[in-house]
Amino acid sequence: MPLVENTKCECGHQNAVGTVLCEHCGKPLQAQELQSNEPLEMRYDGVARRSQKVNPNWIDRVWNFFSSVKIAIYLIILTFLSAMLGTVYPQENSFVNVTDFAKYYEENYGALGLIYYRLGLSHTYESWWFIGLLVMIGTSLVICSLDRVLPLYRALNKQQIRKHLQFILRQKTVYKGMISGDTEDWSKQFGDALKKKGYRVHRDGTALLAEKNRFSRWGPYINHIGLILFLLAILARSLPGFQMDEYITIADGDTVQIEGTNYFVKNEKFTIEFYKDEELPDKLKGTARAKLFETKAVLYECTLNCNDPLKEPVLEELKTHDIIVNAPLKYKDLKLFQYDFNLTPRLNAVHPVIINKETGETFGPFDLPMKDSALKHEVGPYTLELIENYMEFSIDANGDPVSLSRDPNAPAFVFHVRGPGLAENGEPYIYFPMQKDKEIFQQDRLNGKLASKLEISVNGMDNVNFSEASTYLNVRMDKALKYVWIGAFFSMLGLLMGSYWQHRRIWIRIDEGELSLGSHTNKNWYGMRSDVAWALAKAGITVDPKSLDNGGNKA
Amino acid sequence: MGKWRRTVQIIVLSAVVIIGGYAIGMTLFASDEGAPPKVGGQPPSFALADLEGNVHQLSDYEGQALVINFWGTFCPPCVKEMPEFERQYEKWKDEGLTILAINLSEDTLTVNNFVRRFELNYPILRDMSRKTERKYGLRSYPTTFFVKPDGTIMEIKVGGMTEQEIDERISRLLQH
Repeated sequence: MPLVENTKCECGHQNAVGTVLCEHCGKPLQAQELQSNEPLEMRYDGVARRSQKVNPNWIDRVWNFFSSVKIAIYLIILTFLSAMLGTVYPQENSFVNVTDFAKYYEENYGALGLIYYRLGLSHTYESWWFIGLLVMIGTSLVICSLDRVLPLYRALNKQQIRKHLQFILRQKTVYKGMISGDTEDWSKQFGDALKKKGYRVHRDGTALLAEKNRFSRWGPYINHIGLILFLLAILARSLPGFQMDEYITIADGDTVQIEGTNYFVKNEKFTIEFYKDEELPDKLKGTARAKLFETKAVLYECTLNCNDPLKEPVLEELKTHDIIVNAPLKYKDLKLFQYDFNLTPRLNAVHPVIINKETGETFGPFDLPMKDSALKHEVGPYTLELIENYMEFSIDANGDPVSLSRDPNAPAFVFHVRGPGLAENGEPYIYFPMQKDKEIFQQDRLNGKLASKLEISVNGMDNVNFSEASTYLNVRMDKALKYVWIGAFFSMLGLLMGSYWQHRRIWIRIDEGELSLGSHTNKNWYGMRSDVAWALAKAGITVDPKSLDNGGNKA
Repeated sequence: MGKWRRTVQIIVLSAVVIIGGYAIGMTLFASDEGAPPKVGGQPPSFALADLEGNVHQLSDYEGQALVINFWGTFCPPCVKEMPEFERQYEKWKDEGLTILAINLSEDTLTVNNFVRRFELNYPILRDMSRKTERKYGLRSYPTTFFVKPDGTIMEIKVGGMTEQEIDERISRLLQH
């Protein structure tokens, strides 16, 4: 027959399984502990952890697993070790433009790099097992705290003033001596002295309990609440829309959608400024030193037709901001940082005129965008029908015109022109907006006789619309960050509460003129002993604080 | 307090299972969201207009063998492939093959001229501002995705193919 642990104390109090010191009178309950003379184990005031049961079922077993501080420490060590492994080589998410990571790691870090990649350590912090460890630490934090804070709260909230002699005399700071005169008066005098030191004093006849700074006992639990919040915030980052780290390229004047959102960003103008020589120290003169990178940006939100390929999205302006380094555009949780730039200009549109070379008359200008131009232009007496366009004009091996790319690097337009002095059903005319292309491809020769009758050309740079540069912006969003900060705040608050203050308690009882005093604190025993010695002196007993030491003090 | 103990245990452990399960599940299953498609994975969704202004969504072709080809008039191997795809389309369309040729964000006139020149009959879709091409993680052109009727990618072919290579892949695709 299994022995059922006797948890009933001689004072009549029924304690929970696992109780070390009677919750009521403080007498040690376990036989081994009772026979010893060593100072008592005062952890959690000797109360049982909440979950300890005689017959645990599977829920209790899971609970007890996470309730163990030993398990928690193993989990933390394991997490630290794997977090260290994740720092050996850069993580995948630190590369913006790599697609084949296996190749990248092998080429840059050799065979070890490839093993590192194959083991999945190149994305340690997003791996299922790392997140799993975090979840387990979180669980352990909640369960460990719950199991200890509730019984501790209960134990500290209804403390018995008169404690068992064994409890008092087996504290780490102890005094024993005879009192002459009225014992109740002495007890009161001693209590009044402690009140001056900021203790709360409770008396029960000659027995006394003085206590201060109990709140510091809640420090670790507030710290844990902070850590749990912190962990939840980290885990929340995997929720859709909680975190974003993207890069967008916008040419001057363009509006680009931020992928995965309803936001659009317009780059009104990108500016780069360099220091003038007179602003630079001698050794830097003549070098290009950037003074300013600035994107005049406008943030829009799409309100209608956002994903309709047939319609233009309807945009509503939210904010304008001049983005410079370290001064991002901020809107709600969205931040747009200046990241890079490209100074390659891009031709957007020209506004050419048509010149009748025979009469010298000029007509126009008309609008000719490089992309998706109107197919028909009526200019004065002329009608221009656009029949072909090329973004980067060239002649292929067969002698046919082709475009080498989709960017307007060498644009060309073929019009069918009708008008005065031209053939009834029109004549073809090829037009190169850029002067260099006009010469390379010999526009006039291609147009033959028509070149002597009319000319399409641009009058001055005012009639040319181009983007001088493109800006690269880093789009970031981290909705979890503010919760991380709140968590960190509580964590720090709890840490301060638990470490700058100490919970000090003093118990006395006087049995037939004999004073028994014991006191307990969680740290700084030196201060504890000096408090006791000071109060004893006020009540007429002079002792050396060191003599109060009952051993067992490592602190 | 004793009577609440079990309730608290169940609430805490269920919260752990839900939050922890979700967090771990996200790392296992959803980590490919937004990443370029891989063989065996699913092609990213899109809704694109064709030349007649009809909107085609990827989900419209659920359960069909699908060839998604990205092409541009400025890319000679793409140009060479287009009439080959046309012949393959005529050959296999009765067996349930669909070809979607997504143009690389060129302008309307360019695409119209090209399609008229080659008399193409399969849907030519117009990407806008390179959005779909980015979703598909394109690095060079042409790139062709062979999608099985179960919606997973059989092969991603980067670069041009001969007609025979296209034919061989399509007949393999239709066996699934």
